[in-house]
Order: sequence, then structure tokens, then C-alpha cells
Amino acid sequence: MADTDKNASVEQDSAAQAGVSRRQFLTGFGGLGVGVVLGGSLFRGFLLPDEVVAIPASDGYLLVDSKKCQGCNTCMMACSLTHHGVQSLSLSRIQVVQDPFVAFPEDKSVLQCRQCPHPACVEACPTKAMHVDSETGVRTVDAAKCIGCQECVNACPFDTSRVVWNTADKHAQKCDLCKDTPFWNETGGADGKRACEQVCPVGAISFTTEIPLQSNEGYEVNLRDAGWAKIGYPIDDEGKINPATASAAH
Amino acid sequence: MAKDGYCGKILRLDLSARTHSVIDTEKYREWGGGHGMGSAIFWDLVEDKTVSWDDPKNIVTLMTSPMSGTMVPSASGRVEVQGIGASGYPVRWFTRSNFGGRFGGQLKYAGWDGIVIEGQADAPVWVDIVNGDVQFRDAADLWGKDTQETQRSIWSLKDEEAHGWTNIGTSRDAGRTTQKPAVITIGSAGENRSSLGCLVHDAGNAAGQGGFGAVWGAKNLKAISVVGTGMIEVADPAGLFSARMLAKDEYAVAPGQQAAPNGPSIGKDAKPTLFYKRKTEVTMGPQACQGCINGCRPRWSDGLANESSCQETGVYTTFDALKHGAHTDASVIATDLVQRYGVNSYELSLGLKYLYALNQMGVLGPGLEIDVDLDFSNIGETEFAVDFITKVANREGIGEDVAEGFVRAAEKWGRLEADWASGVLDFPYWGYANHGYDPRSEVEWGYSSIMGERDMNEHGFNAHMWGVIYHMGAGLDVPVSAERYAEIVTSKMVPYEGDLSMVDYGTHNIYSESMAKLVVWQRHYTRFWKQSALYCDFRWPDLANFSAADNVGMTGDGEPLFWNAVTGDDMTFAEGIELGRRIWNLDNAIWVLQGRHRDMVKFAPYIYDKPVETSVVGPFYPLAGTVDGEWTYINALGRSHDRDGVEQWKTHFYNLEGWDAATGWPTRETLEDMNLAGVADALDAAGKLGGA
Repeated sequence: MADTDKNASVEQDSAAQAGVSRRQFLTGFGGLGVGVVLGGSLFRGFLLPDEVVAIPASDGYLLVDSKKCQGCNTCMMACSLTHHGVQSLSLSRIQVVQDPFVAFPEDKSVLQCRQCPHPACVEACPTKAMHVDSETGVRTVDAAKCIGCQECVNACPFDTSRVVWNTADKHAQKCDLCKDTPFWNETGGADGKRACEQVCPVGAISFTTEIPLQSNEGYEVNLRDAGWAKIGYPIDDEGKINPATASAAH
Repeated sequence: MAKDGYCGKILRLDLSARTHSVIDTEKYREWGGGHGMGSAIFWDLVEDKTVSWDDPKNIVTLMTSPMSGTMVPSASGRVEVQGIGASGYPVRWFTRSNFGGRFGGQLKYAGWDGIVIEGQADAPVWVDIVNGDVQFRDAADLWGKDTQETQRSIWSLKDEEAHGWTNIGTSRDAGRTTQKPAVITIGSAGENRSSLGCLVHDAGNAAGQGGFGAVWGAKNLKAISVVGTGMIEVADPAGLFSARMLAKDEYAVAPGQQAAPNGPSIGKDAKPTLFYKRKTEVTMGPQACQGCINGCRPRWSDGLANESSCQETGVYTTFDALKHGAHTDASVIATDLVQRYGVNSYELSLGLKYLYALNQMGVLGPGLEIDVDLDFSNIGETEFAVDFITKVANREGIGEDVAEGFVRAAEKWGRLEADWASGVLDFPYWGYANHGYDPRSEVEWGYSSIMGERDMNEHGFNAHMWGVIYHMGAGLDVPVSAERYAEIVTSKMVPYEGDLSMVDYGTHNIYSESMAKLVVWQRHYTRFWKQSALYCDFRWPDLANFSAADNVGMTGDGEPLFWNAVTGDDMTFAEGIELGRRIWNLDNAIWVLQGRHRDMVKFAPYIYDKPVETSVVGPFYPLAGTVDGEWTYINALGRSHDRDGVEQWKTHFYNLEGWDAATGWPTRETLEDMNLAGVADALDAAGKLGGA
């Protein structure tokens, strides 16, 4: 327990340095913006009264519109390129899964890490390799500490784990909002740019510092505007209204 | 791991022995990739270049480029297919096709730069590639399945769950992926060895021209599936990303927005090209090949004809509209069916119009001189389309008649001479269907086709015709004058840059040396940059681009920028074109060994004897040209070719290539200049060396 307290103390210092205010915690808590677990956890967080530990929210979140995604996988290639200097879909921390024979809009899913308020991956890690970045709140992996147990991979609550098992280097990795992108001439991270967002040809990925609502559909947003409708694609949330019909109605 | 874009290994499949071996990519590195490597491999492995398309000794190559599977815009997803095809008249040439999607990327991630297929299996097989593991599998259960059923069946063997990470092999660290295996397969048209048979991948990627579906059918090869979990090393990762952003920011339309009316170029938006207007009850979403800067295909809310775009969506629209006064689901179902059966929609579409014309002439139909079991009173209805396409795919009735192509069918029916004279049989070059960009109007399309071996299907110069039409149709001024267009385009055409007459489509200029330069440049540019480096035809070359600030596209700067970022080479645009010249010469040498001679290189008779009256959009075909020395957009309709004029143009072409003008055969001097002395020796031994 002493270690836990120590960790909590360190985290409080780190959070203070990062400028996280009590108000942000409370606001986030209301919107499931912070992870809340009972005391005794080993991961980095704030110690609140009654042995409740809160984890700082991430400074940012990737939002995707799978109904706008064209399925080119350029985001995936950009991810592996900027992080690893190679082209690989398997190393990408964002995954686009599609079935060419399935009807739109169920034909594609864009699977990105949600930077969960309550990150099960962080909680599962026995070595603190999977941790909350003290500067940005991003849930990320210190590969040097990873022992390859894959607990974090399996702990991810989504049916396709957002924690990627790097079979080449044999460690876990996940979206860090491009904080660590040594093969990129841009500054990544929550305060910088995200490679997938930058490169998407149709603007199907965006970024927010506001904590999105958590739902089974993920951080899905509607990024389709009037220009998209002019091309001929639906812009209603469900993607079921032909813009030609919508135009006629108006 | 692939280094600098190359995996280092080419997979060689011997279907007869059901074994595989490895070809060292380095042996063919000098050819760049794609078509260049395919031609060189064919040259080396097929001793008798006159071998029949269905002979086990014929090989088929599926080649990627170092840029396949990388984020080079609109160059990541193409695969070049080559071999002696089942299509063509009077000779079935060594030919090529090409398909998009994600097969090339998966092949590279699996560790292979390409596949060489030789031999003939004694029973139907499919080939299962999982990274470095290659298995020949029994395809008895797949034979007879359509292309969609086949792919689903293969996926069901590998990935029973719709989502999730799939472990490759039994080792924890052998590899993981969320991606379905990429499968290229034939449908019943290919199984039945119809020359209309295609190779189909996913829902809407097909290698149609050349009849490679039939070649696979003859080899008893149903499908190849590949999944890869590896990686491709690139020489300059940061440079590659920056180059991609340059293309996006400076040459592409703002993300998700409607573009200025461009023809095929980087400046196009993500709108599919659809020949049918679908009912408003359905919606569509975008779909792109791997790495595309803006895709060109849709997936639909009813799942019909997913990923179909451009010509295949027009396979039945004419008759549907004639019957119903509008497009109905008949057009969509016909399109869906050609994808499922793997039928060449171009050949089918023009062929059906020919059959209909014969029916209207009282020649072809039930009980008529050409007695076929097609109820033409029902043409335009779904039932007719299903009946016709099914018969073609299964070689039943009319399907058997046209299985070797419509030109050969006409010859068999004793109608070739008459129907080629009248133009009813609109197949102007080497037995291939008119692409719609008629050789009498858009002369470079026709010239490139007869100097090659098939309908060339390259939209680089055709793009501007569409750009002009789109603007005019929208009531907008064309952003650039004809003269400015000529300046933009010809400034990029090294080594002939600056000769504006190269794109002067005025009738007075169509037999000139300048027009021959245009075609020479096109043959060399496309052979390397488009068919070997595998830049997609629908986005490259990027000549005039109305989404770019100054209307000047990325071509010239873009192609080598990406190539060098991936490979670490220091190739110039001109050096790429020169490599294209070398590849083009190797192709021509193969054709010469197959029997090519200058005297054979000609259009079908109607191209000389009948003026072209309409274009794909009606009574107007706008092309840049001069009238009395002034640049304008001319209407290139109303003219036919002059036989002597075409012969004059051919002489210019042969002289520019350094080939013997009397025979069209390459000379030793020209070949040795390109370090192709061995090719010259082979031609010499065959008595077919030009100028000898």
C-alpha cells in the first residue's frame, strides 16, 4: 500500500505540473471523463477521498466517421510510417476493417483507441508499462517496461483490441496521439498533429480535447457537411437519406 | 522485411507439380517493378513466344511495384497482370491487364514482390499464401462458385469472425492482422475458358482485358488468396509522408469537398463515376483502393454492385433506358452479375450492341440466319440481362458463339468483312471493343492501341476532354484556354517538352511527327510510371489539374518524388520515361516474335471509311487543336482516317523509336543502345531483326 500511496503522490505532483484542475476532474467525472477505481490500484492516478483513485483524462481524443471513411487504409499506413518508419497494417494503432460485399454503412468500421476514462489496459498492466502519460494524459506504452504478457491486449473491452501486439518487437503498443513519432517532421501529440487525421483524404478523422460520450459505437461523429452531400453522399447521422431526396425536400 | 520498397522475393508457382520456388527480385530490379519485371520474366521463362494462351508453358505474372502497400497516393493498390491472353484478333498477343484494391499491399506484407504462374493443375486448385507459407489447395468445392461466393468461402476458412485480430499460424508472434485475406479469383466465365473471363478481387476490382480469366481457367487455377502481416521498409519515411501531404494540400481538392470539374487526375474528388442513375431509396458510401488520394467507387445501402464504377456500370444502361425510359435496377443487377461471373463488361457491352444490331437487321435471333436463343423483344428487362450474361459466362448458346470474342464470332458467322466495313461491329483495334474514345477523334487512343496489342485504356490525355465536357455541361468556363492546356501538358513531356503541336488534335495535324511524338511519349511514360511503378490510371498522369492553384498538375515532379522516397533511388522523371522505352522495346520484341509486322498494324476498315458522328456524350468531342493557326477547342467529330495518312504517321512513329520503318521491327542499334543485345540476338536468330 505504501507503494500505492507513493505512486498517488507522484501522480498528484505530475497532475499539478500538467495543470489539471479540480474543476476538470469534476467536470470529467460527470461525463465519465476520468477513470475511477477503488483504492489499491497500482496504476498512476489521483487519490481522492474514500480511497477512490481518479486518472487524469486524456488531453485529446480521435473521432472518426466510418460513414465517411473511404477505406483506403492511408491512416493505417501513416500510423506505422510515422511511429516505426515502415509500412505495415499490422503495426497500425488505428484499424480499418471492411467487408466489400456488405451494404453501406455497415461495410466499414474504424477502430481507434478511445483513451478510455477508465483504462482497463492500464489497470491490467503488471509493470506499469501501459501507463497514463503525465504530460498529456494519453494512455500509452513504455516498451522498455513491457514484459509481453499481453494482459493489456486482452483487457481492452472492445471486440477488436485497441492495444496492438507488435509481433516484430514483441511488445504492446497503442495510439499515443502521435506523441512519439520519430519518423515524422511534424510535432505530434495532443498539442500537436495526428498523422492519421492529417493524411485522411476525405476528412473522416478529427480530434477533440473535449471528452466524448462513451458508447458502444465508439467515438463516432458525423463529419459530413454540405460539400459531402454535393458529391452525392448522405450527411444524415444514419447515412440513410439520399442527398438527392434531401435536396428535393428543401 | 521488405527493404526500400522491395521484398526481395518473387513467388514462382508450378501448377503442374504443385510446388513453388523463389525468384530473387534483385535479378529483375533493373526493370523497376510491375510491367517491366513481368515482361522480363516472361522473356526469360517462356522460350517459345508463340505458345498458345492455353498451353501450360504460357505464364501469367502478377507483379507489384516498390510503392505497392505504401502511402504513395493512388499507386499503392495496383497489380499488373501479364501473359499471352485469350483475347485478340488476328493474334492473341502477349498482353497486359491491371487491377486495384488491396491485393498488392497484402502480397507485399506477406513478403512477395510478385507471383509467376506456370503449368497447369490436373484438377482445380487455389493457392493459399500466408506470409511465407504457400499451399496448393483443392478447389473442387469452389469451382462453380461466383467470385463473391468464392471469396466468402475462402474467408470463412480463415476468419470465422467478422471482426477482431487474427493470429497467423500457431506461434504467438508469427503475425496478427484485422484484415481479410485478399483474394483474386475467376468466375464461371473464366472457368469455362471464355475470352471474356476476368480476374476479380473483392467486389469491384477486375483485370478484364486480355481474357486472363480464361487463362486461369485453362490452368485450373480458381483463386489466389494472400494475407500478410509483415512490413515494408521505405528509404525516407519522413520524406514520403511530406510528399503525400504535398499532394494532398497542393493538388487534391479539400478533404471531403466537391472538386472542380476535372477529368481523371489527382484533382478529382471522391465521387464515383456512375453511368446509371440509381433510385433515391438507396444511399452510397465511398470506397477506394489502398492508398488512394480520392477513391472512385461506391458501396451501396442495398449491397448491389458494390465497388462498381465507370464502364461496368454502363454494361446494360442503354437497353434499360430504351425499354423503361430511365435507368432501373436492371442496369444495377446486370452490373452486379458481370462482377459475380467475372465477365469483361467492355466486350460484353459493345458485343450486345452488335448482337442487337444484327437482330434489328433480321440476321440474328431465334429462327434467323444466326439462330440464337435470345428473346430480343425482352431486351432492357432484367430477365434478358440475366439470361444473356449467364449464357456468356457458362458458354451456353450465344455464350459459346462469342466465347472467343465478338470479332471471331463475326468471322465464324461469315459477317466480319461486311460488319467491319459498315462499322456495326465497333471493335477497331486488335479485336478489342471501342473504348468510346474513337480513334478518328481522339487519335492518340487509337494510335497507342494499334501500336500496342489491345485497347490501351490510358486516360492521361483523355482527361482533358472530360474536364472540358464537365465544365461545359455545368455552364462553366473552362479554366484554361486550349493553348494554355497545350503549354501545361507539353511542358511535362520530356524529352519532347515544349512542342505544343503534340496535343494539336486538328485534322491537319493528326498524321504529323508531333502527333507521333505524343504517342511515343505516352507509350514510354505509361510503360514505366503507370504500368511498372503502378501509378493508377484514374489519378495519374496529373497534367492539367483544376484543383491546383495554377491548374498545373503534379506530374513530372510527383512521380519521381514518391519513387525516390520509397526506394532511395535518385531517379529523374526523364530516366523513368527512358526505362519505359526499354520496357516498351522488350514488349515489341515479343510481339515481333509472335508475328508482328508493320503491315498488320492497322485499324478495322470502318475507321478509314466511315466518319465518326457521335461521341460518348453526343454530337460533340472537344479536344485542343488549332484552326488556321489559332488554338481553340475543336469538335473532333465528323472525320475518318486516311489510309495514307495513317501510314505516314506510322513511319514517323517507327523513326522516332529507332525501329525499321519497313517492317516495324526493332534494330540492333536501338536495342543495344538500351543494353538489350540479347533481345537483338533472339530477333536476329528468328530472322526478324529490323534493318538487317
